[in-house]
Amino acid sequence: MKMFDNIKQSLVWKSMFRRDYKDTPRNRALAIFGNIFMHLHPVKVRDGAVKLRYTWGMGGISLFSFIILTVTGFLLMFYYHPSVDQAYWDIKDLEFQVPYGIFLRNLHRWAGHFMVIVVWLHMFRVFMTGSYKSPRQFNWAIGVILLVLTMLLSFTGYLLPWDQLGLWAIEVGTNMAAGTPLLGFEGPFSEYLGITPYNDVRFAILGGSTVGGNALLRSYVWHCVALPLVAVVLMAVHFWRVRKDGGISGPHS
Amino acid sequence: MQNNMKERSSYTPYLFAFLSLLLLGLAFWVIWKDEIQLRPWKEYQKEYKELKGAALQAEYDKAKKEFDSNGNSRKLETLQARLNEANNIFQSKEVQEKYTGLVEQVGIIEKSLAQNQKKLQETRGKYLETEYLYIRDQKEQDKRTMQQLEGEIEGLTENRNVLLERKEALQGNIDEITGEVETIKAEIQSLHKGLDEKLAAIESNDRISPQIKQIHIRDVGKADRCITCHAGIESRYKLSDQQPFTRHPASFVFLENHPVSEYGCTLCHHGQGRATTSPDKAHGWVDHWREPMLQGSMTQSSCISCHGDIEGLRGAEFISEGSKLIKRYGCYGCHMIPGYEKLREIGPVLAEVGTKINYSWAVDWLQDPKTYYEAARMPKFYLSKEEAESVADYLFSMTGTSRHDTLYTDDDIDWDLAEKGKAVWRQSRCNICHTTNGKGGNHTEIHAPDLSKVGSKVSKEWLFNWIRDPKKYFPETKMPRYRFSDQELAALVEYIVSEFQDWDFEPEYEEPVPIKAESIEKGKALVQKFGCFGCHKLKGMEEMQDIAPQLRRAGATVAGGESSEKIGAELSSIGSKPVELLDFGKMKADIPHDRLSYVKQKLRAPRSFRDDLRMPDYRLSEEELGPISSVLLGFTDASRPARFIIPSYAEIEELEGEDDSHILSGDFEKLEKDIKCLNCHKIGNHGYNYAPDLAIAGSKLQEGWVRKFLRQPDIIRPMLKQMPRFNLDKQDGMMQVNLEASEIETVINFFRSDLVTDDIPVVLPGLDDGAVDQVLEGKRLYDAKGCVACHQIGNAGGSVGPNLSDVGNRLTAGFMFKYLEDPQRYSPQNVEPKYGFTERERIYLTRYLMSLKQDQGDAENSETRSDQ
Repeated sequence: MKMFDNIKQSLVWKSMFRRDYKDTPRNRALAIFGNIFMHLHPVKVRDGAVKLRYTWGMGGISLFSFIILTVTGFLLMFYYHPSVDQAYWDIKDLEFQVPYGIFLRNLHRWAGHFMVIVVWLHMFRVFMTGSYKSPRQFNWAIGVILLVLTMLLSFTGYLLPWDQLGLWAIEVGTNMAAGTPLLGFEGPFSEYLGITPYNDVRFAILGGSTVGGNALLRSYVWHCVALPLVAVVLMAVHFWRVRKDGGISGPHS
Repeated sequence: MQNNMKERSSYTPYLFAFLSLLLLGLAFWVIWKDEIQLRPWKEYQKEYKELKGAALQAEYDKAKKEFDSNGNSRKLETLQARLNEANNIFQSKEVQEKYTGLVEQVGIIEKSLAQNQKKLQETRGKYLETEYLYIRDQKEQDKRTMQQLEGEIEGLTENRNVLLERKEALQGNIDEITGEVETIKAEIQSLHKGLDEKLAAIESNDRISPQIKQIHIRDVGKADRCITCHAGIESRYKLSDQQPFTRHPASFVFLENHPVSEYGCTLCHHGQGRATTSPDKAHGWVDHWREPMLQGSMTQSSCISCHGDIEGLRGAEFISEGSKLIKRYGCYGCHMIPGYEKLREIGPVLAEVGTKINYSWAVDWLQDPKTYYEAARMPKFYLSKEEAESVADYLFSMTGTSRHDTLYTDDDIDWDLAEKGKAVWRQSRCNICHTTNGKGGNHTEIHAPDLSKVGSKVSKEWLFNWIRDPKKYFPETKMPRYRFSDQELAALVEYIVSEFQDWDFEPEYEEPVPIKAESIEKGKALVQKFGCFGCHKLKGMEEMQDIAPQLRRAGATVAGGESSEKIGAELSSIGSKPVELLDFGKMKADIPHDRLSYVKQKLRAPRSFRDDLRMPDYRLSEEELGPISSVLLGFTDASRPARFIIPSYAEIEELEGEDDSHILSGDFEKLEKDIKCLNCHKIGNHGYNYAPDLAIAGSKLQEGWVRKFLRQPDIIRPMLKQMPRFNLDKQDGMMQVNLEASEIETVINFFRSDLVTDDIPVVLPGLDDGAVDQVLEGKRLYDAKGCVACHQIGNAGGSVGPNLSDVGNRLTAGFMFKYLEDPQRYSPQNVEPKYGFTERERIYLTRYLMSLKQDQGDAENSETRSDQ
């Protein structure tokens, strides 16, 4: 016991945990203030609000899927090269050679599909319970952006196996982008801006005028770096706003 | 609060427990799946290891038994006893004291050597440093230091040498003491060596643990893991007949020339080389894998991606057969097939066919060529009688205005003349190329028409003019121009017409009937629709196949290289066409939807996909389908790195510009065009393999013999009859085309100027062995080596190799001399073994063979370029 006391007295311990165990209201408050995760979490949650039949747990499950996707995605990055020559074969090798590679990949893929579904259901629930109403309008807007980010993550991840399915999906998707008004070369009014297939929004997505090596690399960077970063930041804001807007909405609030 | 607690105690723990168990179960399932179910190769490797272990153990046991039975164990015992004795002496106190003393001394010297070495290194370093400073600053002081250091280095080196000498001396003393023991140990070891190696092999096999093995070929992006399961594919031993433990069949052809480490497996066999999780996946027998594994002869398809010439390629017999069939049926007339672009249309010119054949015959033939003769190459187009008449009308309208037949009855025949014609027929050996009533036609690659019923097909006038000068009617014909007199010609024509009649032939138009204009138009449309010009040169349609269909529809008429497209689908990448893109049409037959089945069905029954397809029915046999489709499936998009590519002769010739060594020239070229030497003989890459290769005929054959032979080709017959490869019957031998004396000289001159090689010496090297009778020595060798087993001289000897009775008149000494060194040098297919004769022996043998001559008195023998 002496040893534990010594450890607790040490500078390292104290720098990490800035309070002792004494159960006082002050300590409880400090526990929340001193911990970033707790800080994001609402201070108090109404017991009616945590009932499964009210929230469906969809927000939490979305976060859970996101964590799974981050961990598995991180591991997948060890085995994957975003190059035209290697990408497909790396996916094949995940199946045929990497220990638990097929498990890893399937987990990532299914969790991705799952997250898209769950995020939609979350939105549906929020809408049906009227939780977008004052004072939560801003958080609804953040949520909509997060929904779009989820879609984009799904879309950019689709191309990465570099198989026929992904290739043509991106072909179709980016051709739709070419129809964007003003910014797509096939969209209305684009001619007034001097938009051609070589400077429009489709070109920006693909890094070229066809689905090729640049498109693959861009997908990869968006999928693995930019989009998750933005999503994490917005999620932090989203959770924090839940707290600031008075916690999870309940049947009577 | 109360409520909440109650609720929690009601179902949450059960749900939690259930989900935990479910997750735990899932975790175990994942481990089982990944470690066992998705790694079937672990079992295979274990099994193979056991098989190999058992084989190695058996080998060891056998060796051990042999070892014991040779009395080796006794020897071993004696050696062991001697070793013990020597060890005892070595272990005695006295010797041990001396030994340890010596070892100690060596230790001390080694220590000082190490110190010396260190000091030497330091001093050298210092020296280099000072030298650098001196060069930079040019200070006298540095120079002095340098000299001093030099002295030190010298001293140290001397010291070192002294120490080394002393060490060596001491080592010598030590060796003296231990020598006996070491020698005996070495003896025991060498006695045991074979067994130890075998034991080591067993042990190293035992140490193998399951792992994925792969061959990575960087430049084709292949990682073949096939050897993970097929562990024994390269093995020297045959351990099992069961897959996946077998050896590669005929590996002396395939693996020898394509080492697995360099070529991998899927380059030839296709399949999904990276897959390891199930046999079906690995072999590519799964949906959407575009290259399912090729097995057996079908694997030969892959030869085409690297080898330019496949005919005659060892191990590629199946596709070689396919290639011959493609040439036989002229598939390239309608389809673009790579490598077959420059070949001639297979059918005859149809310009003046109205003067050649009977109208009724033409109508029958167009409806179904096989009713005329079974081996007809022309396919069936499923024309109705009316349509066939239209086509015939179109063809006949080129030279006349009527449908007409000519029938020769017995009364029209001059039987005496026909009798004379029979002699001409025999002498000319028409049967080498043409079949008549199932006889002849040994030279299968010429595809000369069957003549069994030709008397009912053609007119006498046409036949007469044709044989007199075939090129006049059909410039690209393979038929040689015989030098017949008009009397001989008339007799031959009479014989052919009288002998080869179709008794069932019923002419409808012995009274000519005028042709209707609309029928001609209809016929022309049919000819264009079915692309008859793919195989026949047709007046006014020479350029039809050079215009792409869509351009033709747009009204284009120019013959353009750029827009050239054939009437059928291009086949240059049919082997890569995804199954999804193959048009199975309204196929009623129940065939699997894969590429091979598609191509086979297309060949088997082209119209079974849709009735309105244009491809005609070749009525191929099932045996012909495989080889043809294997060639076609070899044409793929896959690119191979340059290091694998073996270009064809034609490509090499093109790359190197003109290859004048094998292209005919001058008078001989003209003569050859006339008598078609290359219909049977080969010169370089041109011609056929029916008769001997003439590439080095000028060096190989004696002039006198060639002259005599050309005048009277019969003389080679007794010799050729011995050759089982040719299967010649009495009808065969070289055809007699009645060359004139000046033409014979042309042949001789060409042989002498163009068909020679520097490789073959004109004169045999001299031998300085005066007294020995070289011919007698040669005969002694001939008998000693058992040449008689295969070769015949006089009446004695075997018939595998050529008869040598007259070889001294036929071959040059230089050729024999080089040939005996390496029989496969000039024709790799020869079966004669390499005996490894010395140069002296080869000279003796040559002298003996040169002495073998029949009819010695012949004046021409004196002209030979022999060894004198």
